[in-house]
Amino acid sequence: MNYSTEQTDKTTIVTLSGRFTFGDHSSFRKLIEEIRAHESETQVLDISGVEFIDSAGLGMLLLARDEGEKARASVVLRGAQGQVKRMLEVARFDTLFILED
Amino acid sequence: MVSDHDKQSPITVAVPQCLSTDDVKNMLAATNIWDQSPPTPIEQVTGTSPEDLPNNMAFSYCLLPNNPGPDWLGSLIRLNCDKFVEHFDGIKLDDLGAVLDSDKASQDELLIVLSTRSAYHLPIARKFVTALRHRGLINEATAPTVEMAVQESFANSLIHGNLELEASGHLSMESFNELGEETQKRLASSTYGDRVIVLTAKKLKNGHITISISDQGRGFIPKSIDDETEMPGQESTFGRGLPLIKSLCHSVTFGRDGRTINLTFDQATTGILPADPAFVAAIDAQATVAYEAGLRRPENATILIADDTMLSREIIATYLRADGFTNLVFAKDGEDTLNQVKAHDPDLIILDIIMPKLDGYEVCKALRADPLFASTPIIAQTALEENQGRTQIFEDGATDLILKPLNKAELIARTKIHLENRLLVKQLQAYQERTQSELDLARDMQENLNPAAEQYRGTGADYGMRISATFQMSSELGGDMWGLVPIDAHKLGVYIVDFAGHGLGAALNTFRLHSLIWSDQIRDLNPGAYLGNLNRHLKGLLPVGQYATMLYGIIDRGEKTFSYASAACTSPLLGDSTTGNARYLDGSGVPLGVIRDAKYETRQVPFDQNSFLLLYSDALVETTLDDGQFLSEEKLLSMVQQTITANRTDVDLAAQIADQFMDRAPAQLSDDFTIVSLQSGNSVNIANEAKRSASRTDYTI
Repeated sequence: MNYSTEQTDKTTIVTLSGRFTFGDHSSFRKLIEEIRAHESETQVLDISGVEFIDSAGLGMLLLARDEGEKARASVVLRGAQGQVKRMLEVARFDTLFILED
Repeated sequence: MVSDHDKQSPITVAVPQCLSTDDVKNMLAATNIWDQSPPTPIEQVTGTSPEDLPNNMAFSYCLLPNNPGPDWLGSLIRLNCDKFVEHFDGIKLDDLGAVLDSDKASQDELLIVLSTRSAYHLPIARKFVTALRHRGLINEATAPTVEMAVQESFANSLIHGNLELEASGHLSMESFNELGEETQKRLASSTYGDRVIVLTAKKLKNGHITISISDQGRGFIPKSIDDETEMPGQESTFGRGLPLIKSLCHSVTFGRDGRTINLTFDQATTGILPADPAFVAAIDAQATVAYEAGLRRPENATILIADDTMLSREIIATYLRADGFTNLVFAKDGEDTLNQVKAHDPDLIILDIIMPKLDGYEVCKALRADPLFASTPIIAQTALEENQGRTQIFEDGATDLILKPLNKAELIARTKIHLENRLLVKQLQAYQERTQSELDLARDMQENLNPAAEQYRGTGADYGMRISATFQMSSELGGDMWGLVPIDAHKLGVYIVDFAGHGLGAALNTFRLHSLIWSDQIRDLNPGAYLGNLNRHLKGLLPVGQYATMLYGIIDRGEKTFSYASAACTSPLLGDSTTGNARYLDGSGVPLGVIRDAKYETRQVPFDQNSFLLLYSDALVETTLDDGQFLSEEKLLSMVQQTITANRTDVDLAAQIADQFMDRAPAQLSDDFTIVSLQSGNSVNIANEAKRSASRTDYTI
């Protein structure tokens, strides 16, 4: 998994790409630390470039949500496609996140 | 195929260049891997990457280098080989005897043995599933479900099994970070990191496929196998993969005290993660075309059952279905019969004589009067005992007669006989076989129009470049071709061609063009003039409506330029290998063979010691991928950039892009796929590598 972050006003946009799986521990940790430093009100995880996610990846998204809640930021998942979209549907992430196309 | 059970036959082993002779000897002498006593003699074929190894050679085993990169993982798809074993110092397979032995007993298999340390960082599930698709072991529609199940099981066996890490319940960020650190520690230690993980796939007699994943740690059996807890929800998903896995498989069983998990998939049913609808639609469309282009087969025959009583129709249908004839249509009276025949053009008609509106006699007469249906076999069914009616129905054109009440065996026998006659199965099969062998020959010939790996590797080295290429022919013959044209010490010409359409016509045209290219002695013309010339020749040879797209370019190492002309070719990519940044060059121009006096512009761009060039046929950007979309221009750019930055100069760009494409495209392509990369590099290293690559050693243990 690769990512880049971008902060505008009070929103942080994180663009993720590639495969997001159990092996992405350390890059995800870095990602969370980066977002934390931004202190934004809205955190958008743009996952349109993610082509595959496993349950560990889903778990990491949940962790991102927990961290967002701690910082009183709303966490948005944007642009899920293909397998990722179907996984989010199966896992009913629509009840846990704000999902955007 | 060489059988590795036969102790007399030599076995062929694919070996990465980076392994030392001793490494290889030790690996091949490790009897617990290969057999009780290793077969002899052993032929080794060595390459720097799988691209160097001949893809038409059957390998008994392929050794993978320690910590293999994406290049060697590509061998799962590229090589004609079923068994892949990573070489690393701490490998111990003693307790896996049963796994490896049971694997020897069955066919249609795939076996991969990796260290935990390497496997943790590799997209194993993806590559494994791509390899199964390309071997025809799983279909495209099942693949996403299989990949998900393999990914989850693989993660469990790796993390909970081999690394013995506990990760269940809801994780806090702190425990997540601790888990991450512990993971790194254990991966680095020989106790955990050197444990192997084994993946195997077998096809069962009932068509199901079983994938087994074995670890050397403590396995992974959750407290309660029947725990049907819902998917993620409010809790963390770590260590809770089993309900998900179970929902994806036909059945899940455990062996070796939980250290082997067996996943069985039923290809007929799809799991909760079906393939993207657009992807499936694209595959179906492709299959329809292939079907329509091909010959009808008896079991696919359309049979029309014409009978005025529903019960009779149902009885006949039940008999036929029981024998595998499922493509049935029905008519309830004489007029309806004529309409259904026109609508479905059946291969066989089972016709009742006594029917309302038009009786069977009239139906026969009407059909025989229509040239389209004059030879469609008609089996008339009748309760009439008297000779007159029976003679009459033959006179009116019935092919055969069957008496009511119907005898099942007789009905089936007559159906088969007439279908076989109708489809001329035997003659067609013989014809088809002959045609097939001729098509295979044509395929071989077409493949041979493209340079072989050792050839383009060597030529690349002469010009200080790393050249990589991948060519996959479509299910039929296609019209792709590429080649290199050494001009002088500094100038190397390169061309890529795609003839419109595929099939024999397109293939013949590639032969025509190939001979034109190689008969012309004007190759050092500037590319625009060269294409203009070629176009004039080709226009005279090609029938109206046939055309080709082509790019011809010259890399000049002295002038540090790439000059090229394009006849509607896909836009080439020019990039910088230090940054991975690339841009599309202008590929516009009139296709070859359309206008006699077409003019082609020569375009020139800088090409220095950091430049790379990527040429490809339109199959790369016009194939529906697993997300239901084509590979967009932006996605290709970022794929190229990530591939370059992840590997720097030490990468075969075209092979890597091809491997990533294969992971996401259907195994059977509807168009030829060609991709070629030319990367500037350190000429000394490349020359040495090229010399070392593709060498063979024979020895006996």
